[in-house]
Parts: sequence; C-alpha cells; structure tokens
Amino acid sequence: MIILKHYKVDDVSYVSHKDILRVLQRGLKRAGVDVKYSQGYVPHMLTYTTTPVPLGVQSTAEYFAFELNGEVDKVEMLVRYNQSMPFGMRAVASFYKNKNPNLAGIVTASDYVAKSADVLPKEIERIADCQNYVIPTSKKGEVVEKDIASLIYALRVDGNHLFMRLASGNANLRADSFVNHINEKFGLNIKINDICRVAQLVGVDGKFIDVEELLK
Amino acid sequence: MWDKLKDILLQVQKPARYVGGEYNLPDMDKPCKERVLLCFSDKYEVGMSNIGTRILYHMLNDMPDIVCERCYAPDLDMADLLRKNNLPLFSIETKRDAKAFDLIGFSVQFELQFTNIVYMLDLMGIPYFASERGEEYPPIVAGGPCVVNPMPFAPFFDAVLIGEGEKNLKELTLLHMQCKEEGVSKREFLQRASKLDGVYVPALHNPTKRAVVKDLDEAYYPTKILVPNCDIVHDRSSIELFRGCANGCRFCQAGFYYRPIRERSVDTLVTQACQLMDNTGYDELGLLSLSTSDYSGLKELVDRIKVEADKRKVKVALPSLRLDSFEAEIYEEIQGASLTFAPEAGTQRLRDVINKNINEKDILSSLTTAMKYGVKNVKLYFIMGLPTEQEEDLQGIVDIVRLIKKLHAEYGTSKLLNITVSTSIFIPKPLTPFQWERQISMQEMLDKQAFMRENLRMKNVKYSWHGAESSIIEAIFARGDKSLAKAIVKAYELGCVFDSWSENFDYDKWLKAFELSGVNYQKFLDGFSEDEELPWDIIDNGVTKAYLLKERHKAYEGKCTPNCLKKCNGCGANRLERCRI
Repeated sequence: MIILKHYKVDDVSYVSHKDILRVLQRGLKRAGVDVKYSQGYVPHMLTYTTTPVPLGVQSTAEYFAFELNGEVDKVEMLVRYNQSMPFGMRAVASFYKNKNPNLAGIVTASDYVAKSADVLPKEIERIADCQNYVIPTSKKGEVVEKDIASLIYALRVDGNHLFMRLASGNANLRADSFVNHINEKFGLNIKINDICRVAQLVGVDGKFIDVEELLK
Repeated sequence: MWDKLKDILLQVQKPARYVGGEYNLPDMDKPCKERVLLCFSDKYEVGMSNIGTRILYHMLNDMPDIVCERCYAPDLDMADLLRKNNLPLFSIETKRDAKAFDLIGFSVQFELQFTNIVYMLDLMGIPYFASERGEEYPPIVAGGPCVVNPMPFAPFFDAVLIGEGEKNLKELTLLHMQCKEEGVSKREFLQRASKLDGVYVPALHNPTKRAVVKDLDEAYYPTKILVPNCDIVHDRSSIELFRGCANGCRFCQAGFYYRPIRERSVDTLVTQACQLMDNTGYDELGLLSLSTSDYSGLKELVDRIKVEADKRKVKVALPSLRLDSFEAEIYEEIQGASLTFAPEAGTQRLRDVINKNINEKDILSSLTTAMKYGVKNVKLYFIMGLPTEQEEDLQGIVDIVRLIKKLHAEYGTSKLLNITVSTSIFIPKPLTPFQWERQISMQEMLDKQAFMRENLRMKNVKYSWHGAESSIIEAIFARGDKSLAKAIVKAYELGCVFDSWSENFDYDKWLKAFELSGVNYQKFLDGFSEDEELPWDIIDNGVTKAYLLKERHKAYEGKCTPNCLKKCNGCGANRLERCRI
C-alpha cells in the first residue's frame, strides 16, 4: 500500500472533501497507476483518507492511501502523482506499507496554525487550562452547547500566530468552529482560509506522534 | 480582489465554483497581447459541461499572445455578496475584474438564459445596451446556438458570431488584437469585423453568412481539457463524431442549423479519445453528435475505442441513438439495462408530417430486440402540439406504451419493466420547415398534458411533462425581434434570473415585463405568413428559405424526405461548405 502526504492549499482548500476524493482518484488514473478496485457489482477504487479539514481550511498534512496491483517505486509514485494533480494538491512524501495502517482510525489529534493580521492576545492560551469550556456549536442545523475542554490539547500564541492542537478523528473539534468562537470572544478577525493543518498525530503511550514519523 | 473574496467564499454554496485551480489549466502567465473573457450565462456546473465553450477556451489559450479566462453566472447568494461588498464579477482564473479584459464573449445557449446576460453585465458594472457603451468598455460579443435568431438579444452586444467559433471567434480575436496594436476605435474595429465571415454587427445590421469549419479532422479539438474539482452536470470527456444531421426532422432546429454534415475520421477520433482518457482521468467517455448511430464508422469506432477504454477502466457512453438504426450488437455492448427512444409522435401519420423516418415495424423490431436483451427501463420522448396534431395522435402515444408492455409480457427477459414517458411542447423554431407555424396556446398545452396524465395512469409507467408557461416564453424569444431586448431588461429588473431553472421561473413577472415595456409578444406566437419577412432573415444559416418552405408543404402532404445519407436533397447548406459524409 502506498501512502502519500499531500497539501490541500490555495484554490483547492475551497473544494469539499467529497469532491477531493474524486480529484484524487482521477489523478491516480492520469498517473497511469494500476490501483486495486473492489470486487463488487459496481467496482470502485480502493482508496483511504484521514479526517477531512473543514471547507476553507488549508492543510500541508493530508494523507491519501491506496492499494496497488503490482509494485511501483514510492519515489516514482510521488513524481507521477504530482504531475497528475491540480497545483494545490501536490504531495511531499510517499510511504510504502505492507498493511493498511488505518490512519482514519488511529489519528486522534491535529496541529493547526492560524495567522491573524493583528497580534493575538495571550489570554487565548488560558482556554486550554479550563476544566470545562462550553461553546455553542451547530449540529444538524441546530445550535447546541458543547463542552470542548477535553478536545483542546494545547494552545500557544506567538505574535500574530495561533498554534492549536485539537482533537481529530472520532472525537473531533473543528478548527473553523473553534477559531470562529475565538474571533467572537476576543473581537478578532482570523480568516478561516488562514488556518492551516500542519500535522496529524497519533496518541501512543500518552504522547502524540506525528503520522509522518509513524510511517517512516 | 482575492483577499476580499476569501471573506465571502465560505458564505456561499459550493465555493469551488468560483475559485478555479482545475487540472489542465492553461498557462495564465504567458506573454499576452490580448486577454479574452469567455462568459457562460448559467452556473459553473452547466457551463463547464458545455463542449463548445471548452473547445473555444482551449483554442484561444493555445494561440500565441492570447490568454482566455472564464466567467460563469454566479448563483444568487454569491451575487448578493458581491453587491454587498462592492465587488465586480470576476474571472475564475486570475480573479480579474471583467471590465479589465480586451474582449468579452458570451455563450448564449438557451432562450431562457437571456435575462442572465443582463444579470452578468449588471454584476460586471457594464451598461446593458451596446449603444450605451463607449470606448471605455471592451467589445462584447455573443455566440452559441441561440444565434440562429439573435435579434431579441442583439442590442446587448457589439457583435454576434454566427456559426462555428473555431473560425469566427478565432478571426475576430486576431482582428481585435491587430486593431488594439494599431490603436483604432471600437467603432472601426466593428466595421472591420463585419467584413469577416459569420460576424453580425447589430449596429450595422449587415447581412451575415454563417461561418463553418471546412474539415473536422483539421479543426481544433482540445484533448488536454480542464477537469473540474467539483461535480458538474456532464462530468466526462467527449469526442465529437460529426456535425450536422442527415435526418431532416422538420421540428429540429439543430438538425438544420449544424449542416453541412462533416464527419471526423475514425483514426482521428480514436487518437483524440485515447489522449482525452489519459489527460483527464475521467471514468466515462461520451461519443457526441446529433445522431450517433448515423456515423458511418460507428461499429469500427466503438470496437476500437472499447479496447482502449477497457484498458483504462473507462465506460463508453452513447447518448443519441435513433430508433431505426438501433443495433442490437451495440446495445448489448454498451447500453446495459436502460434504453431511451424518441419516436417524437404517436402515430405514423404524424411521424411522416415531421419527417421522423421511422415506422411501426422499426419500433416493433427494435423494442422486441431490447426486450430479449433484458431491458429494464424504457424512456420515451414525445413532442406535443406538432402541426396537424389531433387527439388520435396523442392516443397513439398511449398505444405505444401499451405495445411496449405487451412486448415485455411476450418477449421480456427482465422481471420488471419501468416505462418513463416524457413530453415536451413543440416550439416552431427558426430555421426549420415549421418556422411559419403558430405556437399552440397555453390552454391547448394544458389540455394535452391533462389527456396524457389521464391516459397514462398505468402500473410502472411514469409520465413527466415540460412546463407550458416556460414554453410560451421560450417560443417568444426564439421567434422574436429586437423589440424584445427592453422586455428582457424589464424582466430582469422585476427579478427574473436563472429562468431555465424551474424553481426560479416566474411567468407572472414575464407578463408584467411585457406589459411595462410595451411589447406585443402575441405577434411572435401567431404564425407567420409565407411571404412576410422574418426577424432572422438577414442571417444566412446555410439551409435556404425556399428549401424550408418546400419541406413545409411536403409536411402538410404527409410526404417524407429521405435521409441525406441516401441522397442529397438540396437543402443549400453545402453553399457554406461541402457535406462530407
């Protein structure tokens, strides 16, 4: 199985996850890669991704896995993939694994960086120390109260940058919802498109390990 | 512009429509002397599906010194936000203000899109009427299928391109680039443009002959096409088998307009198909033409393309099969368990009137074959309100449905058969033998639809019909003259936009617009007399008026005209270019 780490930046950050899946699969066809298909009545390409970033949020740490018939060198795969994808979807690393690592199931957190036009207040960091932190969120069109304290692992402000480590995967805190809340609470104007996911993390023995490290 | 757009993109539905970044995007940074904006008067997902604008977009970008960008009609939510934020309508590729382009082209596909032209000009901050635009505005031109009769929308444009853009848009763009270098005025540019083939300048009202390309094998056809990042209506690559149609169905505008008939060779098509499959990654390849089964090399083409498509796990789609040339072999290979037939009329008498050269025997044998191959779904298309139509012709549609059910009971190998019957309303379109006919009234339309609803209440039969009100508006604008332009503007001011989307269509607003603008629309719905001058007579689309008239008379006599493949009927289209069949 080949796993590619790729970007989702610029124009492509406004493309929904459902559409991105199609973009990825078409890219593989253009690359001339012999990807495995399911054996059902309507065969589909066997591809796997991790938890998507919200629409408008950029990412330099997306993962895309697929099974191959036969073997392709992982470096050659990287080159062929990059020649076949829209500009904002370029891959930066490729990995080979014998078995599907089920990234969607094991990723538990993501690191994000949000950039503001103005210097950000340090008070934002205190949110991470709260035992309970309830914010209104939208669920199926309805506004519901949600305690997100356990979903915030770390917050750090450095000038006009906000670094966030938030829960990702089965227990998930959307970076855009959280930043919208911060904007409202502190009177800021951080744009959703200025948030970027920079790493996806797996929890191992109480520590977070970057997925990229795990795949090496 | 991009920074301001970032603020609003997440407030609209499907922001991917407005950002571009598709695969195979041409080089937007190349040295350029002429920057062209191609506008499509509908949403991104409709415009990106249009093969004509795809061809022209890539053709211009493949020319030296020319960069071409795209602009689609933004959805209403985006338009509101653009207005609120004082942002003009922009190009997809470089997010450039539309007014900053050297030349703007609109593709006009459908009569119910006319208000969208005004809508887009409004969002661009450009005066609607060409007569109100000075030298500070770029020339704005129109093309597309609606130019058969460009009169209702002609006042909005500096020029209307009649015919095939591979020829006249290319020549017009080069001319404009030259005029720009020479520093000549827009007025002078339009004077020169009116001398080109297929360029009608409304201000000069010059007689115009349709421009056509000579040889499709030599004509430009892009094989490195844009692959959209979001879902569009026809999300596949396509090859164009031929232009024109040999059948001569008397109601069909496209069948006459796209003549002369010109085929691409099998070799060219196979090469283009392979390149498209490799360059796009699409799962589906469409074979396009007005009547695919009339393509002389269809069997060889399908055989050769299937081999290449199977290698790449690509499905081949044949969208347009005629009932009489329905080949079981091809059906078995490609069509699967669904079948679409368009008998158009319910009785043989009426099928002869409209020159739909198929008979009961053809229908029977084709359907019997289909049943044996296990067809599960049959879709049938008919037209109501055709000249000379009687109640027995409508009853004939019901009889065909009953016949299919009976055939299924006798020969069908599938357990269940679903039949979908769709009827549209006949509109006597320009450049057809029926262009002189009257449009049937609203009440007649409603009565006919009620008859069908009543008589098609059968198990596993679904009936759908086309709106009567929108058919009336479509007829007015298909057959109208320049006086209608002010009604289009008035309708837009009353809120009519995206009229081709049924949820937006508002008939009462249209009636109000005609009233307020003082336009007598009824004269375009009544029949024209054979000796009167028609609004579109100044445009020579190829097929002669004398031929159309002769065909009209034959229709009333119930006489058929043979398919052009059997013999040349002398329609006159080969005055433009030789038929290549």
